[in-house]
Amino acid sequence: MTTSANGNNTYRPDAIIVGAGIAGMQSALDLADQGLQVLLVEKDSSIGGHMISLAKVYPTLDCASCITAPKMSASAHHDNIRIMVNTEVRGIRSVRGSHFVKLFKKATYVNFDKCIGCRLCEYACDSEYPDPFEMGLGAKRAIAVPFTNAIPQKAVLDPEICTTCGSCARVCPTDAIEFDQQSEEVEIETDAVVVASGFALNSLGVKSQYHALQNKNIMTALTMERLLAPHGPYGRVLRPSDGKIPSSVAFVLCAGSRDASIGVPYCSRVCCMYAIKQAMLLSGALPIADITIFYMDIRAFGKGYEQFYQNAKAMGINFVRGKVARIDPLEDGDLSLHVESTEEPENILQEHRHDLVVLAQGMVPEWNPSISTPVAVASDGFVATPLLTAPTSTTANGIFVAGVASGPKDIVDTIAEAGAAAMQVSQYLYQKRAAVTPEYAQGPVLVG
Amino acid sequence: MAHAIDVKMMEKIKKHGAGGELDVSACFNCGNCTAVCPLAEDSAGFPRRIMRMAQLGMEKELLAQEDLWRCYACGECTKTCPREADPMQFMAAARSYAISRYDPTGLSGLMYRSPVFNIFVFLVLSGFFSVLLLWHQGQRGMASNGGMFSGYGSTQLFRFIPGEWVHSIGIALFIVVGLALAFGFFSMTARVMGKKNQAGERRPFPISALIPSVYSAVMDALNHSRFRQCGEDEAPDAKPLLQRSWFVHGAIMWGFLAMLLATTLDYLFKPIGSPVPPWYPMRIMGLVGGLVCLYGLSIAIGRRISAKETPYEKSSFGDWFFLLLLTATVLTGLATLIVVYMPHPTTFGYVTFMSHIVLAMDLIVLLPLTKFAHVVYRTLALVLHEWAKAPASEPAVAVATHQ
Repeated sequence: MTTSANGNNTYRPDAIIVGAGIAGMQSALDLADQGLQVLLVEKDSSIGGHMISLAKVYPTLDCASCITAPKMSASAHHDNIRIMVNTEVRGIRSVRGSHFVKLFKKATYVNFDKCIGCRLCEYACDSEYPDPFEMGLGAKRAIAVPFTNAIPQKAVLDPEICTTCGSCARVCPTDAIEFDQQSEEVEIETDAVVVASGFALNSLGVKSQYHALQNKNIMTALTMERLLAPHGPYGRVLRPSDGKIPSSVAFVLCAGSRDASIGVPYCSRVCCMYAIKQAMLLSGALPIADITIFYMDIRAFGKGYEQFYQNAKAMGINFVRGKVARIDPLEDGDLSLHVESTEEPENILQEHRHDLVVLAQGMVPEWNPSISTPVAVASDGFVATPLLTAPTSTTANGIFVAGVASGPKDIVDTIAEAGAAAMQVSQYLYQKRAAVTPEYAQGPVLVG
Repeated sequence: MAHAIDVKMMEKIKKHGAGGELDVSACFNCGNCTAVCPLAEDSAGFPRRIMRMAQLGMEKELLAQEDLWRCYACGECTKTCPREADPMQFMAAARSYAISRYDPTGLSGLMYRSPVFNIFVFLVLSGFFSVLLLWHQGQRGMASNGGMFSGYGSTQLFRFIPGEWVHSIGIALFIVVGLALAFGFFSMTARVMGKKNQAGERRPFPISALIPSVYSAVMDALNHSRFRQCGEDEAPDAKPLLQRSWFVHGAIMWGFLAMLLATTLDYLFKPIGSPVPPWYPMRIMGLVGGLVCLYGLSIAIGRRISAKETPYEKSSFGDWFFLLLLTATVLTGLATLIVVYMPHPTTFGYVTFMSHIVLAMDLIVLLPLTKFAHVVYRTLALVLHEWAKAPASEPAVAVATHQ
């Protein structure tokens, strides 16, 4: 499926998309459907991004993988899209309108051309480690297909965990395992680039008053998504420290954003709504549990969001207005949250006891392109988009941006922006080529 | 309830902050400061609620908050404030604003806001006291006597400036300052006691609870029991006892009180200018008090110079002025103690002695107008807070049951 180092002389895609999350896939599909050749580059072992790991999406409570998986498979099977997984962008050189994208293909120790995804290697492997896809809650083997609905369905070996015992190589029916595989760097030329590198969450340790790193029962919302997912690590909602069924769950909003003291003064835009969504899903999973959302102000700005919030209140989810200042661990794994309830008539200092706490960590950029590419970033670290009238343009000609790479946004906005970025790419290519070859402008537009 | 709104309130308080950087409007009222504060009590809502009053221009309510004085500036709120609105500095600025508003002359506010005016007042006062003290020199006829610094016996400083003269000026100053403080005292008391809660009721202040409240507040002020709850003692990286903020402040205060007591006892029981040996109890008390005070002052000043720790990061001119004035007074006092036992009179000795008296008089006369005023307002706030917390008196309940 992927290209080889030798192939790059002949393979020259019209556009390269950095990141195969929902933004990258949408841009790739929109460009490919116009007949353009697209290379979709992903640093992880599977495409799908964060969205494939989510349980459900707000405000419709649709199953997230039911939306993401078809996009993944459409991208993977599209004639005009090539996918490179386990590949990082190491830099972009822009020379006279062409972009030379330096790609670093990490060794997977499995020949993808031979691997048929049968998983016999995974069953034979003895070494296990906390599964990163399950946010460390489940176990994963040293050689494994990344997750159930990963694309491509190819095993990847983690050299840090592998003991090189050779069991996998012995059982592989196609001799796909190559312990001597080397990482390689290739450079591919293209006309346009879309940066869709997405986000990471800031560390649970950014606010030391929460004691979150030392406590298993304090988790990020992405971990809670896995607990809530039907195919999640436990298959049900249990708290990680002792497997107890939680009876009282707290969501702490603005735990990692809107806080200048931890360096993230901006709003992450999605936390209010996903907290409400997770609270609703938890009320279904744990019908007798008390669920409390601590918020500074609920930002329900999208279509149908305010109604979603009102529904949550009507369902009996508690909302307490005030920023949680401190979380103290108690002996039995429970947690004590200190907050001033600023809505009470007599502003009251409160201490709430919960057995599971979800922190709304802030969205920070996954990748800083300004180090190795002509793309500049703004003061918040996200890709700078200087043109208000073309919000997917960057400071570099021919390089565009889509999704959270340019700033926090939810899935709906990300998909809309990815489409807009694709449109800008095709317009850019059309104008660029029509200028060079006048007849290009006459004929059927951009037939590959 | 109608509120008089002062639309310029935020600007006014900002002028009392250090370096004019305080931005009260940055606060978005999340309540982090209150919840993280080791001293905040149920229903207190400070610092957030007081900050909100400043934002809304509720001056009357703000000046009625004894809570302003129940903060000891540990800096937890400022360290964790999501908006970097610096609640700790706000509280300090609001206290200084309150001092200027309790002062009926308006001089205090001018001194806080204008360092130039502050220094001007200091120089004028010092010059005035110097002339006043040297008045007798003029009357004695300096030239005929062979100059200012000759003709005295060893260490007889009080012949240079007569002790009775110093005492008379001092007593006059105490009366003026006492009157000024009484104004502030009653102004604050009336505002705090007149404060109404959300239900529009005043707090009870039963007369029977006054004495116990005064006792517990004074004890608290003396042993810093509330200051000690600021979390320094329990912190995992707790400093040695002698370096904790509450101890440093305590050293300054205890040392000052010892010096004040020694001076008062000397005034009451020791004939003016009578020679005493160095181990005379009051001398030892003054010496030890001075050294303890100086220890506290040196740490407080050192921390403000290095400005590494949150509570000492930003200092206003008022903070510096008070600290340096007190330090200068203590240093000249200690030097005078040495001069007294020098074998021969020296110009240095007389100058030191007079500087000490002038500085001490500056300190006293500026008490109601400078940061020094906190000794009155903070103690008063503690008394009023304790008093308000006391349950309503017995007879009221009895009457209610009889009906």
